[in-house]
Amino acid sequence: MVTLDLAQISVRDANEAMRAAAARGENIELLNPDARHHLGVGLVAPVKVTIRGSAGYFCAGLSHGARFEIESNVGWGVGDSLYDGSIVVGGNASAIAGVALRGGEIVVKGNIGSRAGQVMKAGTLLCCGNASFLAGYMMYGGRIVILGDSGERVGEDMSAGAIYVGGKVQSLGSDARLAEMTPEEDADIHAFLRKYGVAFDGVFQKIVNAGNKLRYGVNEPVSRPLPYTVAEGGTYWNAKVAEDIHAKALIGRYRLRGYGAAKAVPHFNDIALRLDPARIRAASDALASVNLKTKIGDRNGAKPLELSMPVLIAPMSYGALSKSTKIALARASKLAGIVENTGEGGMLPEQRAEAGQLIYQCLSGRLGWNIHDMLRADALEIYISQGAKPGLGGQLMAKKVTAQLAAVRGIPEGIDLRSPSRHPDIMGADDLVIKVEEFREATAYSKPISIKMGAGRVRDDIKIAYKDGFDFVQLDGLQGSTGAASTEVLENVGIPTLAALQEALDGLREIDAGTDMPIVLMGGIKDGVDAVKALALGASAVAMGTAALIAGGCISCMQCHVGNCVVGIATQDPEHEARYEIELQAKAIARFLESVRWQIATLTKALGHSDFRQLSRADLVALTPEAAAITGLPYEPDYHPEAEELLTEVA
Amino acid sequence: MCGIAGIFFKKSETGGALGRSLVNMLDGCQHRGLDSTGFALYENGFKGLRLRFIIDEDAEAAVARIKTVLAEQGAKLLSEKREGASLVVEVEYDGEIRPFAYAMEHAAKLVSIGSSLDIIKDVGTARDLDRIYGVGAISGSHGVGHVRLATESEVKPEAAHPFWATGFSDVAIVHNGQITNYWKMRRRLEARGFEFRTDNDSELIAVYLADKLAQGETLELALEQSVDDLDGVFSFLVSTKEGIGFAKDRLAAKPMVMFEDDDLVAIASEEVSLNRLFPGQPLTTAEPAPGTFRTWSR
Repeated sequence: MVTLDLAQISVRDANEAMRAAAARGENIELLNPDARHHLGVGLVAPVKVTIRGSAGYFCAGLSHGARFEIESNVGWGVGDSLYDGSIVVGGNASAIAGVALRGGEIVVKGNIGSRAGQVMKAGTLLCCGNASFLAGYMMYGGRIVILGDSGERVGEDMSAGAIYVGGKVQSLGSDARLAEMTPEEDADIHAFLRKYGVAFDGVFQKIVNAGNKLRYGVNEPVSRPLPYTVAEGGTYWNAKVAEDIHAKALIGRYRLRGYGAAKAVPHFNDIALRLDPARIRAASDALASVNLKTKIGDRNGAKPLELSMPVLIAPMSYGALSKSTKIALARASKLAGIVENTGEGGMLPEQRAEAGQLIYQCLSGRLGWNIHDMLRADALEIYISQGAKPGLGGQLMAKKVTAQLAAVRGIPEGIDLRSPSRHPDIMGADDLVIKVEEFREATAYSKPISIKMGAGRVRDDIKIAYKDGFDFVQLDGLQGSTGAASTEVLENVGIPTLAALQEALDGLREIDAGTDMPIVLMGGIKDGVDAVKALALGASAVAMGTAALIAGGCISCMQCHVGNCVVGIATQDPEHEARYEIELQAKAIARFLESVRWQIATLTKALGHSDFRQLSRADLVALTPEAAAITGLPYEPDYHPEAEELLTEVA
Repeated sequence: MCGIAGIFFKKSETGGALGRSLVNMLDGCQHRGLDSTGFALYENGFKGLRLRFIIDEDAEAAVARIKTVLAEQGAKLLSEKREGASLVVEVEYDGEIRPFAYAMEHAAKLVSIGSSLDIIKDVGTARDLDRIYGVGAISGSHGVGHVRLATESEVKPEAAHPFWATGFSDVAIVHNGQITNYWKMRRRLEARGFEFRTDNDSELIAVYLADKLAQGETLELALEQSVDDLDGVFSFLVSTKEGIGFAKDRLAAKPMVMFEDDDLVAIASEEVSLNRLFPGQPLTTAEPAPGTFRTWSR
């Protein structure tokens, strides 16, 4: 057995030593823990860990197979995303005990705080004392056993699984109901209690999902929606408005669609490159002579992502998109020497195998989130929000929630999945610091950690991202697309991509952050020309989602949410997906990315530079007063000709 | 977005550890906010009233202005001292506090007025402030402290916590969270003659409580009403000449954990801070229930 004294060594060193000891199969004892955070996170080995005292946040989080014993209390999120193994807490557990539990067993001898088992998927959480309010909040599976009383609203918005309460149930949560318990269940729980030496001779009340909110009531009428702002005949009460009202009169709620904002807002089209036409001809060999290589993510000493050009694939989930599409995107990203992103729905083995470099995204529902894929990833990303629907969680309609997809995400099959709008353990910037540190500890500080944020209050948010130590930011403007969101949010919430970038740059300047934390801009970046403009304004790279999908066969019908995508992209229906030709589309996407590369190189050279990092605001003019007001660029409406036109001469 | 800590010694003989205890507790949760740190310390009585100002630009002019206004207000200067970013004066003053406080606030950035309260706050960490202001050596009966990660308002010494309940000597608060009905509450208080120095929502809590106390309410009642009146997520600690108290919102989104024995009460955002008082000892702690408040006093 290895004994580590936290009065002598740091948590980081202790976790390092624990991993080394566990690799040798040795059991571990921790002395003087004094409620420090992150003890034992990311430990993947069947060893015994004894913690002689209290532990802080995320004790034993993201671990697999170990048997933890904590003699006293634990802080927030004990056993966060535990894959398998056991955790026994001698004292009390604070809020969100067993958050995102994916398997294994957690036994708390004392009381547990609020929101125990939030978004848990499987496994057992036992509380021998009383539970605070919202136990089992948004749980997707597994079981919670509370021997004492449960606080208010137990089982709030749970989708599946069961909660057993031995004491008083103060109140049931929304969409939760009491259910009959079978003798087998009762015997199974008692066997579990015996295994951990816990005596109980009371009677359980069983709480399950009541099934009223798992699906939307009435389906939307099938139609091909016109973009929200397309008016027919220029009238206010046009056909589009009438169609929308008719649909809502039928379904009585907001309408969903895929894609991004359709209304016109100031964008990169409103900015021109200050290009000297005389230089254009000299740019013909740009690909060979302009440096586009870039590294991103080593702000805190992690191994950076290495990109052949300042372009990334935007995060899009397996779920919104078919597996075939995710494979094609991964393959194309590798061909182009850039990086692919898992989006919300977990990591597919095929996607991992095909992608050269892969960012693994962690969202509020922790769907498919686990330590093994974290270790397989090249970078980790904490999603706070996205441009298409800032402040809201993902939506995936039942048609797409197939058995295979549900298994990857750890959720019940066939529900209209509405992901939580906020993380269980990130209620503010202070919690976020602790979360980031958990991921760093779990992966031995080897992976870059980025934050994905939609464009709301960017000036404030970017400062928080900087102070919380993120390695880079993926900033998504109003025009960012999605697989499903309400039109109200798509069109009306957030600020345009251009404004988001400017606010971010201003915010960082206000705290003298320099260029320490790169910004990857996304939300309506359609080609290399937009990319050059974004880079010149101050972005370090751009990410492309919709453009890559269109390159790979998307017909822009905006019906991504329905799940019947005729080209096999936004669907989980095998018949539809069969139409998607992975190799063909991967090559098409890769060719498109090469065109982006050529545009960035050629324009960079034409502007007189040999490296895209030399692009600056001096290379830009604003063509509209709005774009000038947003960016502070000089307003030169007469500036002609457009760079795009000049480039055709070269070609 | 922050970390908070408070300590109340039940017996006067243990108060020697006040400053050291709070420095250690805040150092324990410094990861929750590295922008600034602050302490509200209740010492064992000053000669008169102690006033602390933040003096950042044009120090000479500010000091001169402070002295002029002190004289105008009929406050007799007993002592003055420059310390870090602040000027500390002790004065003899018998008049009404609120007009005096507002007059002094117009002269310079006033941090606190108290007959036993001293608020020490600045950008930097608990260790930094201990080094610059000698916080660890200060003895007293109770106090609260704060580490701050600025999310919306600026990073400057005066935006750090604790906030003094302007117009009330010896009342201070530290807060972790976000008050979402800030502007509505602020306008109501402004309409009644209260002045605000920052846009920080935590200042609102201090002024809100001061207003309640001015109306003759007990601290308990003021805290009880705050749970209903304040909207948002919050955990805050309040301190008065007599003791400390906490209030916590109904969502319990902001952490708070406490420890109590025969000698002291300690409350903090995280248990790691409490454990700093008792290294190597597992503690029996409790988390205040959501929507609750409590006070301790001598």
